[in-house]
Amino acid sequence: MARITIENVTKRYGDATIIDKLSLSIEHGEFFTLLGPSGCGKTTLLRMIAGFIIPEEGRLLLDDEDITRLPPHKRETGMVFQDYALFPDKTVFDNVAYGLRVRRFTSKQIQEKVSQMLERVGLGHLPTRYPGELSGGQRQRVALARALVIEPRVLLMDEPLSNLDAKLRIQMRDVIRQLQQESRITAIFVTHDQEEALSMSDRIALLRQGTIDQLDTPEGLYARPGTSYAADFIGAANLVKVLAQETRGDSLLIDIPGGRISIAAPTPGPDACLAARPEHIAMHDDGEQPDRIPAQVVFRRYLGFKATYALQLADGSGVNVDVPASDDPSYLPGAQVFLSFSRACRLVAT
Amino acid sequence: MTAHASPHARRKPEIWSSLFSQSRSPWLLPSVFCLLVLLALVVWPLFALFHQSALDPQTGHFSMEGFRQFFGTPRYTTAFSNTVILGIASTLGTLLLGAPLAYVVARYDFPGKTLVALLPLATIILPDIVVSQAWLMLLGNNGIARHALESVGIDLPSFYGWFGMIYTLILNDYTYVYIGMLAALKAIDGSIEEAAVNLGASNFRRALTVTFPVLAPALLLNAMIVFTLAVDNFSIPMILGGRIDVLSSLTYTTFLSEMGGSPIMQSVLAVVSVVLVGCVLFVQKRVVERKTYQMYQGRAPQAIKTRGLSSVLLTGWAVLFVAFSMIPAVIVIIGAFTKARGPVMRYGTWTLENMERALRTAPEPIINSLLLASVAAIAGTCFATVASYLIVKKRIWTVSVLDYVVMLPLAISGTVLGIALIQTYNSGMIILTGTWVIMAAALFVRKVPFSIRSASASLYSIPDSIEEASINLGVSPIASFFKVVLPVMKPAILGAAILMWVTSLAEISATIVLYYGGMETMPIQMFRQIDAGYLARASAYGVILMIVIIVPIYLAVRFLKLDLFSSR
Repeated sequence: MARITIENVTKRYGDATIIDKLSLSIEHGEFFTLLGPSGCGKTTLLRMIAGFIIPEEGRLLLDDEDITRLPPHKRETGMVFQDYALFPDKTVFDNVAYGLRVRRFTSKQIQEKVSQMLERVGLGHLPTRYPGELSGGQRQRVALARALVIEPRVLLMDEPLSNLDAKLRIQMRDVIRQLQQESRITAIFVTHDQEEALSMSDRIALLRQGTIDQLDTPEGLYARPGTSYAADFIGAANLVKVLAQETRGDSLLIDIPGGRISIAAPTPGPDACLAARPEHIAMHDDGEQPDRIPAQVVFRRYLGFKATYALQLADGSGVNVDVPASDDPSYLPGAQVFLSFSRACRLVAT
Repeated sequence: MTAHASPHARRKPEIWSSLFSQSRSPWLLPSVFCLLVLLALVVWPLFALFHQSALDPQTGHFSMEGFRQFFGTPRYTTAFSNTVILGIASTLGTLLLGAPLAYVVARYDFPGKTLVALLPLATIILPDIVVSQAWLMLLGNNGIARHALESVGIDLPSFYGWFGMIYTLILNDYTYVYIGMLAALKAIDGSIEEAAVNLGASNFRRALTVTFPVLAPALLLNAMIVFTLAVDNFSIPMILGGRIDVLSSLTYTTFLSEMGGSPIMQSVLAVVSVVLVGCVLFVQKRVVERKTYQMYQGRAPQAIKTRGLSSVLLTGWAVLFVAFSMIPAVIVIIGAFTKARGPVMRYGTWTLENMERALRTAPEPIINSLLLASVAAIAGTCFATVASYLIVKKRIWTVSVLDYVVMLPLAISGTVLGIALIQTYNSGMIILTGTWVIMAAALFVRKVPFSIRSASASLYSIPDSIEEASINLGVSPIASFFKVVLPVMKPAILGAAILMWVTSLAEISATIVLYYGGMETMPIQMFRQIDAGYLARASAYGVILMIVIIVPIYLAVRFLKLDLFSSR
């Protein structure tokens, strides 16, 4: 259990700045996710905490101790690698026992701790297998057990689920989250998958080119994106051009191509655009009521539990709209429809 | 992530911007140590050789006199052109023999195909001294086969000279082409051929327009390897060359005649051969490696089953290859147990005398060979393990230098290396000339690039993350190497060690220059006996040499399940 503080950290490779004066603080027992597309610096930041990369500027604190230049093998972090990094010549048991042997536990203690740990990850029956004889999910569990058994101060996970198939990935999310909750350990999780981030984290830092774009709870990030980047990355919001805006009471009136809509009023930004999630737009046959914007159906995608429509606004810009399968009006391409926008839509900085 | 997934984009600036932080790397010391070893055994001797070649024999000042003499003397220029001709002729011959054989083996099934698997083995267990001696016994002036053919009215041209050299070199080296082309053929994604056929190409057109262009770089690469082997070869031109001089034999005879005098001409000849091989290697690196195509991992095309006449022909063909490759072993075994009076072999009468002499009366060459090969193999394997690890995994500037220097020995033929080492270590602070250390060092330098190559191949498949996992769990970087990386490398290291051992046993071209009375190795002793005409005595050492080579290979393949031929 530990608290991690990152102060003004910068890392460059030649001319490219990978991490740019980034500051962050992660609390005791928190499940913290670094989220972002490839190249945003999230893995670099994680490896910096593990000690494999040393920042050019700034400090890293573990509790109150400065670990910026502490060699990686003295940091007491447990890391789960993207490719699991299991030792191929060692059995499951020996893989998990590796860190304990280094710490000079007696063989009785090792036996006990490893068995317990393997039990917890559901591999109690396979201690003598070699990594090559395990399925992807089982390897993942060994990697987790190996990192957790040394009772590290922080658990670091670098896209641990990216090599698993879709079903297993969802199952392992719960396994990881439960293990973290049981051990009450501080965990830092790196992913580019917004669903993983939303479903597992206490807090998420959305990274963008080496800086934090938004730091929030999953709910906050989804409901109140601050930038078009955040709105687009999480939940793939439609970004609609704003022609004019005007505050009236607790509403914000916005002119967009094709008409005027009204949403709940936050403080409007200078060069803002409208972030409207696909499920926050509804389609109608008639445009009698106010607040309805004309649009034309381009095509429809059927996804089983829902259908999504690609539509075109008056100025030719595109928007996507989700409809639950049960309410699907089955519009054909070319159909003229009218869109209404929920008041939960927001203005975001571009 | 950009920071890790695109090492090429950032390598260059990273090297310079973090020179300072690298000075803390725990691997700096080992890499500097590796560099120093190569500096002492390769770079410095090579430098001394170049320096020596540009001195005036009388005054000792800088002078191009040696090179002027080289280009002005027909004997030297002829030796140079002979070397190139020999190289080209044997390269063409090996390609013509090796490449079609590889194609047939990769693409067709026929009875007796497993026999062909013996071929790679033949190159390793048959040192070229054994091969040259055996063909000498068959086709030389008193050769068995020559007499047999004469009795039916066929007169062969003299075996000494071009005929013997080219013939033996081709038979000795075509397996390298075969092994290389077989690997290239197996790496071809079969679906590109199916695509060509699907688009309407006939089988012939497909082979010409799709298969051949994809194989061309590998063909060129193997041609260059065989060319450098031909330039490097010592025993074949020495034993079979007759009056034809090539660089390696002329360098050696010049070395012998300049003994004690000023070593200008041997240095000049050595420099010329370094430049020749260096040019070939340079072209290889520049042209061939850039032209190599990225192949998607795919399944190799299925071998076609042959029936009837074609299968009989293919089987016959393959059997012929195997027979010709294995004949030297048979001949040398016969020779070892044949009664001889002086140089006259009495075929048909048998004796244990030769073997007894080699094993009991004069066993020193056996002991020397085993000692030198063991020292070279142990030192070389340790070195190759560390060096290949550094080269593949650690990007610090000392390692970038190391990466180039370790392959330098490939440009130095054995005789040249021997002369360079002698000139460097016969005076000054460290005197090694006339000790076994310098012989072991020569074997080490000659063989270590191959060990590094095969150890590197295994390292590429070991992800960096397992090492990081170990460090993350609390083990220091150096200890992590021993606990995590080394065990995974173990099979490759063992394989490299065994190959280094057996190829060191067969080595003659460097040690012939470096040996001194009492330190003859088996190949050197064979060479001297052949030179003196005692073929039966030479055969006895040949048999023992083959045994000490075969036994460890057999044990490794049988018990350690090593795949010794994959990375050659």
